[in-house]
Amino acid sequence: MDESIAVQFDKVSKFYPGVRALSDVSFSIRRGEVHALLGENGAGKSTLLNILHGVTQADEGEIHVLGRQASFANTTDALAAGIAKVHQEIHLVPQLTVGQNIALGYEPKKLIGIDFKEMYRHTDAILESLGCRFRGRDYLTGLSVGEMQMIVIAKALFHETKVISFDEPTASLSKAETDKLFDTIADLKRKGITMLYVSHKLDEVFQLADRASILRDGRYILTTEVAKTNKAELIRNMVGRDVSSYAVRTEPSRVRPEEVLRVENLCGDGFNDISFTLRRGEILGFSGLVGSKRTEVVRALFGADAAYSGKIIINGVPARIRSPEQGLAHGIGLLTENRKTQGFIPTFSNCDNMALAALRKFSRAKVVSGRDKRRNFDELSESVRLNIRNPDHLTQNLSGGNQQKVILAKWLASDVDVLIFDEPTKGVDVGAKSEIYALMERYVATGKSIILVSSELPEIIGMCDRALVMRNGRIVATLDRKDFSEETLLSYAMETHANAV
Amino acid sequence: MPSEFTNTIKRYSRELTIFVVLLLIIAVFSVQNPMYLDLDNLLDILEQASINGFLAIGVTFAIITSGIDLSVGSVMAVSIVACGQLAVLNLPPPVVLVLGLLLGIVLGSLNGLLITKMKLQPFIATLGTNSILRGVAYLITGGWPVLNIPRPFRNLFQIEMLPNIRLYTVYLILAAIVLAFILKKTSIGTYIYAIGSNEEATRLSGINVDRYKIIAYAICGLMAAVAGMVMLAKLGTGEPTAGQGYELNAIAAAAIGGASLAGGKGSILGTVLGALTLSALKIGLVVIGMDTFYQYIATGLIIVVAAYFEVIQAKISHFLSRRAQK
Repeated sequence: MDESIAVQFDKVSKFYPGVRALSDVSFSIRRGEVHALLGENGAGKSTLLNILHGVTQADEGEIHVLGRQASFANTTDALAAGIAKVHQEIHLVPQLTVGQNIALGYEPKKLIGIDFKEMYRHTDAILESLGCRFRGRDYLTGLSVGEMQMIVIAKALFHETKVISFDEPTASLSKAETDKLFDTIADLKRKGITMLYVSHKLDEVFQLADRASILRDGRYILTTEVAKTNKAELIRNMVGRDVSSYAVRTEPSRVRPEEVLRVENLCGDGFNDISFTLRRGEILGFSGLVGSKRTEVVRALFGADAAYSGKIIINGVPARIRSPEQGLAHGIGLLTENRKTQGFIPTFSNCDNMALAALRKFSRAKVVSGRDKRRNFDELSESVRLNIRNPDHLTQNLSGGNQQKVILAKWLASDVDVLIFDEPTKGVDVGAKSEIYALMERYVATGKSIILVSSELPEIIGMCDRALVMRNGRIVATLDRKDFSEETLLSYAMETHANAV
Repeated sequence: MPSEFTNTIKRYSRELTIFVVLLLIIAVFSVQNPMYLDLDNLLDILEQASINGFLAIGVTFAIITSGIDLSVGSVMAVSIVACGQLAVLNLPPPVVLVLGLLLGIVLGSLNGLLITKMKLQPFIATLGTNSILRGVAYLITGGWPVLNIPRPFRNLFQIEMLPNIRLYTVYLILAAIVLAFILKKTSIGTYIYAIGSNEEATRLSGINVDRYKIIAYAICGLMAAVAGMVMLAKLGTGEPTAGQGYELNAIAAAAIGGASLAGGKGSILGTVLGALTLSALKIGLVVIGMDTFYQYIATGLIIVVAAYFEVIQAKISHFLSRRAQK
């Protein structure tokens, strides 16, 4: 066995009902490198990670870790073998101290009970080496998402870990926290730890990784030295065709003067004094950092959460929106940020999910017409370019991008006038991304309006006619398309702008 | 591409399985004692399943919303004593029937309101109403049974349509057909499945989740009231102690029929087959002269095996799709 190899995948295959998630994937990760794993959603990255960490098992093929064959029955076995994972979502127990969280399940023992002294000595040493300002005896209260992530990394280090994989670790981090994380990763690399890095953000890959491997449709495509390639080439290999991953308007904007929506002094959970207008045919952006309460504002607008005070005026008429039912009745739809838990019904087929919000349209005296539902599916799956045209296929088994298309179709079926997209391309592959942008354009071309909440600046800049910037629950700027730039948007979002409130 | 036929088989795999199990049970007992296969005996299985059948198809609605209704036995008792007292006043039987149905809807909606508006967990809410309504049933009669239910009211359920097939069996079949239609073919049914599968996504699709949950519990209460009236008509007396523990048999029938307590899954056909299976088993053990103690064990085993079958089925379908991909 080659001593320089940390992890070796050898013809790994995995099957799920109706899907071949991985087929014959073989490549290796060198000891001590940062290895990026790239691919569209549904390419098989998560499945491969899950197999490596013992969350699930390969149906065929082998994995060798540090020269030994590894087939982990569960994550505990993987941890014992020195393989830890830093998830996108952070799972910590708020009732326990930082140190207890780090040592959870592996607390050092005394004759009777836990050796707390030893536990905190060990965890404090790790936290110090990570440059954290808190210590083992502190509680989680008041820690930021980035700091909690450090705890997760500390947890990995607690186990004498040789290999750490990161799955979209920066998805909910601020810029400063991301920088801090990158410093930590560089530091871990110096300590000889091998890292596997999964991200949709190619900038990060170029900043961090030594080599990158690409998966497409469950197959291994290639491994390349990051220094010898460029973004366009990586993307081309991920999608197998040339696609602009960036949001671009292909048609001139058709904003009409009529106001379809006016919001006055809306206050709610964490946000205050929100006032803005939305015109017919307009794409209005909501920019700002994660945590600036943009999602809370649009949820209140749709009725998902109740606002405390303020006015919502739709087509000149004051509207009372206290529930999604009323939101829908007033012609508002919301594509939630959280697709999997809030977007669709897992036991429903694509056909049924697409019909859900507009079922009234397809029924007479409450009796649903199967034929109307089917016609709706045929029309909409065509217009949203759904890859799988089988109406009985479960939405649950689709890739992220296709799930998003089904949810979009659900709202198109219900004929809403204002559609709110909350981070519509988060975790969506590059190909589906540009299709979703094209769909947004076609939607506003029919005289409808869009509110686009996005943390991706290129998305706001590329797609919107106007953009609001939110910070700490307030609107701090409203910018016209001609004034857009990443610098301006970011400076308003980050309190560095001179004119900021 | 799978054909229409295999799709249908897939969709009804659970129901088919239970049907096969039911046939197996009948076959095994028939071999032991050929009398079991008599038409009269088979009809007896159907008749014995009817009260549990009404309760179970009602409870299926609550279970599909990912809830539960533990109060059906007490709703049944209230219906028995209330309708019994009205019937002995010699009110016209159809009036008693309609009042009984309304009573069921009201009590069921009450459960629904506790669960939606007061946001109580269905298990706790109906555990509470189960006890409250049992007390109400005792209070209505002062603890005494209602005796001598008049013939006209009993005839409303008891008349023999065909030899050995009484009207209430026909009602059960009708109720099953109507409720299956509501569940599978109407927007109400679609929403009930959607709520059980992902309540938040359903709410965020602009659907009034509370309304459809209340409807589900109202249907459950309605069926429990019908079960009560059937029992009242069958026995000719109304006991406030009636229906104790019946909720567990109803839940068992639904579970055997494929309803998942996690919600979003289940069907009326499955539940009816589940109720028939339990009744076939019970009568079979009597026919072959087994001790009734074994009934409990057999019922429990059927529940556990049926639940485990779901796990095996998932594994088989995974295996098959894997083979198909190679």
